[in-house]
Amino acid sequence: MSYISVDHLCKTFTVRKKREKGSLMREKETIHALKDVSFEIEKGELVGYIGPNGAGKSTTVKILSGILVPENGKVSVGGMTPWTDRKAHVRRIGVVFGQRSQLWWDVPLLDSYSLLRDIYRVSEADYQKRLNELTEALQLGNLLRTPLRLLSLGQRMRAELCGSLLHSPELLFLDEPTIGLDAVSKLALRDFLLWENQEKGTTILLTTHDMEDIAALCPRVMVIGHGEKLYDGGLQEMLSKYDTKRTVQVEEHRNIDHVIADMYRDLGI
Amino acid sequence: METQYRGAVLGGLICQLFFGIVLVAIYRALYAGKPQTMPLSHVTTYVWLQQAFFRMLVATDPELLDKIRTGAIAYDLCRPLHLYGYYYARILAQKLTGSVLRALPMLVFAALLPEGWGLCLPASVPALLLALLGLILGLFCVSALENITMAFTMRTLDPRGMQGMLNLLMMTLAGNILPLTLFPDSWQRVITLLPYAQLLDTPIRLYTGEYAVSQAPEALLIQICWTALLVFIGCTFWRTNQRKLIIQGG
Repeated sequence: MSYISVDHLCKTFTVRKKREKGSLMREKETIHALKDVSFEIEKGELVGYIGPNGAGKSTTVKILSGILVPENGKVSVGGMTPWTDRKAHVRRIGVVFGQRSQLWWDVPLLDSYSLLRDIYRVSEADYQKRLNELTEALQLGNLLRTPLRLLSLGQRMRAELCGSLLHSPELLFLDEPTIGLDAVSKLALRDFLLWENQEKGTTILLTTHDMEDIAALCPRVMVIGHGEKLYDGGLQEMLSKYDTKRTVQVEEHRNIDHVIADMYRDLGI
Repeated sequence: METQYRGAVLGGLICQLFFGIVLVAIYRALYAGKPQTMPLSHVTTYVWLQQAFFRMLVATDPELLDKIRTGAIAYDLCRPLHLYGYYYARILAQKLTGSVLRALPMLVFAALLPEGWGLCLPASVPALLLALLGLILGLFCVSALENITMAFTMRTLDPRGMQGMLNLLMMTLAGNILPLTLFPDSWQRVITLLPYAQLLDTPIRLYTGEYAVSQAPEALLIQICWTALLVFIGCTFWRTNQRKLIIQGG
């Protein structure tokens, strides 16, 4: 059996709306966030999970990380069902929700990290080794004594990522980790994710709207729309399938993110 | 930041001292007009102990409420922790630091006030020890009570309405507005059995000797029973919440 296997997963939400004039009851709308989604992911894979806003990406991630309980369907991650074995399951996973923060706003990063170390009961030796590794890879060294509230968005995102990886999870969920990052930070983050995936064998499920992230990182993509899985397969196949217009380029330009990054570096920013 | 913390502690301290003095002055005026069966020094002691541990009673954790409201609680749910225990510890820690920091200087101040204004000595050494034990049990009890409010907030999303009501109940039935010892006897028989009386009223009565040392086991047992019951209710509540949970804000 695959490392992650999701079988006929369904999740609905009820949204209550403002009462319309003249009607007694508030209108209730049932939203099918996930309708019969199935997929499998092997250990060590780096999979991109894309789709328009409200397609059900975050819902899938929340179910896989044991936060939400689905109505129907079976999920097994490394032999465990996330929501029934929540405590044992979450010990081996790391999650980054791009638009939320897990670190403590007023305290220095180092203090937040040592609290996380205690929560996950990481031994002091493992913690120091991992922290050194992560601070080097994410260039956090001189920020460790700074309170979170004084960091910029990009620094904060790197700090969040470090927090999610301190306990060396075997599975990492990233929900829009590059939101609001400049080109340099984005590239650094991508390098880091590739390194984590290849060196440590961490399985990564990446949710994002940034296609460059996907192109740079994920050999395999899954596309979801209106709660249904629409495509699952290689990135190149997907591109050639949907890329019907052909353009001929005489000179090959490099990726624009690289150009901007070079410009920033050139200007010494 | 540190200046801000110190300012908050100092401000709270001055506020509680002010209320303590005003309340004591009111009870002195009451006693000047019509002396009650309870000695005045016991009433002033009651007032000072209530003021000193005021922070233990009121619910103040805007950060946690914000987490629930905005959905940042999602992160707490991905921790390998027993959720009820995690929030219980958090509430307990906040109540403990908040009240100990204020209680010590306030009690010193109240002890220095002249006879009939300030804090009287405990009835006996065993009474003091039993009162301390009662205070610890009271702290466990109030944390369990507040954790139920938190669980409710996960359903209603905004705690203000309910918290306002509960704080009023708390202030009245815990003896902060009027010492429970001054309520009519028939009322007291009921009120002292309610959970709110277990928080501060029981330890204060043990301190002043209102509850004799021989009555202490019974009083402490009621505290333990309430704490156990409230923890059980809170645990069940959190567990059902976890199953029905949705995360706000995408």
